[in-house]
Amino acid sequence: MDREQLSRYGTIAVIVAAAIAPIVISNLFLINLVTLMLIFVIFASAWNLLAYSGQGSLGHAAFFGIGAYASALIAGWLGLVPILAIFLGSGVAAIIGVLIGLTCVRLREWFLAMVTFGFAIIVQTITVSILAPVTGGWDGIAAPRLLSPSIPYYQLIEYYLILALTIGTIVLIWYIMKSKIGLAFSAIRENELEARASGIDPVRYRLLAFGMSAYLAGMAGALQIHHIGYITPEIFGTDLSFWPVTYVIFGGLGTLAGPVVGTVVLTIVWEGLKMAGFTFSRYVIVGIILILVIIFLPTGLVGLPKRLQDWREKRSEKQVPGKGALEE
Amino acid sequence: MDAGILLQILFWGIYAGCIYILLATGLNLIFGVMKIVNFAHGEFLMLGAYITATLFLFSGINPYVIILFSMLALIGIGAVVERLCFRPILGTGKLNEIFLSIGLIYVIQNAAAMIWGDEWQSVKSPYAGITVPVGTLTVPLDYVIIMVVTAAILCGLYLFLNRTRTGREMRAASQNRKGAMLVGVNVERMDILSFGIGCALAAAAGTLWVVSGQVFNPYMGSIPAVKAFAIIILGGLGSIPGAIVGGLLYGVAENGAAYFLGGVWKDAISFVILIVVLVIRPTGLFGERGE
Repeated sequence: MDREQLSRYGTIAVIVAAAIAPIVISNLFLINLVTLMLIFVIFASAWNLLAYSGQGSLGHAAFFGIGAYASALIAGWLGLVPILAIFLGSGVAAIIGVLIGLTCVRLREWFLAMVTFGFAIIVQTITVSILAPVTGGWDGIAAPRLLSPSIPYYQLIEYYLILALTIGTIVLIWYIMKSKIGLAFSAIRENELEARASGIDPVRYRLLAFGMSAYLAGMAGALQIHHIGYITPEIFGTDLSFWPVTYVIFGGLGTLAGPVVGTVVLTIVWEGLKMAGFTFSRYVIVGIILILVIIFLPTGLVGLPKRLQDWREKRSEKQVPGKGALEE
Repeated sequence: MDAGILLQILFWGIYAGCIYILLATGLNLIFGVMKIVNFAHGEFLMLGAYITATLFLFSGINPYVIILFSMLALIGIGAVVERLCFRPILGTGKLNEIFLSIGLIYVIQNAAAMIWGDEWQSVKSPYAGITVPVGTLTVPLDYVIIMVVTAAILCGLYLFLNRTRTGREMRAASQNRKGAMLVGVNVERMDILSFGIGCALAAAAGTLWVVSGQVFNPYMGSIPAVKAFAIIILGGLGSIPGAIVGGLLYGVAENGAAYFLGGVWKDAISFVILIVVLVIRPTGLFGERGE
């Protein structure tokens, strides 16, 4: 089976598995876990889109949280159903994303990482100080549920709703990556000077990446808090900023499947370790996995089949002495 | 506004600045030689703090003496981290270094939490409660010692970099890696050494953090580390004098902000400064290199 087939069948298998999962597991705790995992797939994909344009953010929790707060507040003020408020809330995240992008687009990797990291802390500070009357300070506020618990099977409906949004997000990102915009993103990432020479305006495209990524991250945040039902400023913490980075690198940086594979596999590992009774050590284990992946498998899990194929070819070449030399 | 309060803010700012200076100088030393920014640098400060606190509680030796053990231990830990984690990915892209630091943060923070627990702790310095008059102010003796120790460490670093052969080799490697290699400097040894010394300076900062009576836990390192980044951006990447001036200015600005705007702004103000500086000058205030 070649790799193209593998990815095609893999995609179909994942979608089928996701579609029948709640029927098979029928355990509310697990359904809730898988729902949260789907939300993180959106979040990780959003981060990945920004990284695809060469910008590694360490403060994506800011957009996640802004989308969440904005959606909760809009739903409360306008009396809007949460499912619509989500899209307005992510719009707010996108606008702020473009604004912070304006400071970041001319920065080098390190500075960008520091500024985004700091931005999340500034947002948290503002949330608990100036905006405290609106946001409830450290106590947080309640957010309306995505679907009223009075609806029968509301958890199942919510799951399929979020699954649809997740698939929609991935299809959208696939379309963006394939389009001229995606080409411009990778051109800027690989060599900004050459990209500029071929008529690409790096500032414009980087801002675009920031806006789109912030929008999707905000949507993930809004979905999460409407799913959980309340929101606190903890949402801006470094933990939430680092998770998408970890998921994406583990799965495969800059690939469409990477965030999905990384989130699913790491969530399973994470919850498995929790059940096995690990607390702090599971962070240590995830950290070691992350370091090992960066050093030994820079293409992530999705790059593993190709790695294995290369390795097998190399080995079979060795078994037939002189074969490589003859071909040359 | 009375002058006494301004003086107080100034003094507390300089004291806070001492810890940031040590941290930022270490980062700059590592950046100078290896051209990497270690986002996990704050974790070495945390390790230094815990090592000092543990040794102090067990042995009861004066913590200002333990600072030397703590620094030596961190030279070792730093060398191992450099060899195992940063060496293999050197030159594979800056994003990789940033991501690797995140892995290190996870590992070091939670390993420390496994060893020492994750509650906030504090240690009482043997000089706690003793105050000395400085000009019109009455200040804790510990703060004065901290300033003296910081100055001594910086002088030691200066002498090492300027008067010893290894120090000169290190500066050569930081000025021009290839050129240094051509004249026979073992740059990989300089990498390990600069990383180790950088971590030792972080350990010194951690020790001073502990003896000043501030609370610490395994997750305490991130915020001081990011402040150190703000300082090296203010002072210019790779410039040690820049880190010292930046650190002092920064400590004063932070304490001023906490006084005038309120305590919650103490941490966020660094990023406001950082972002404003970067918007005006994307390479930092005194940054010459386009890095």
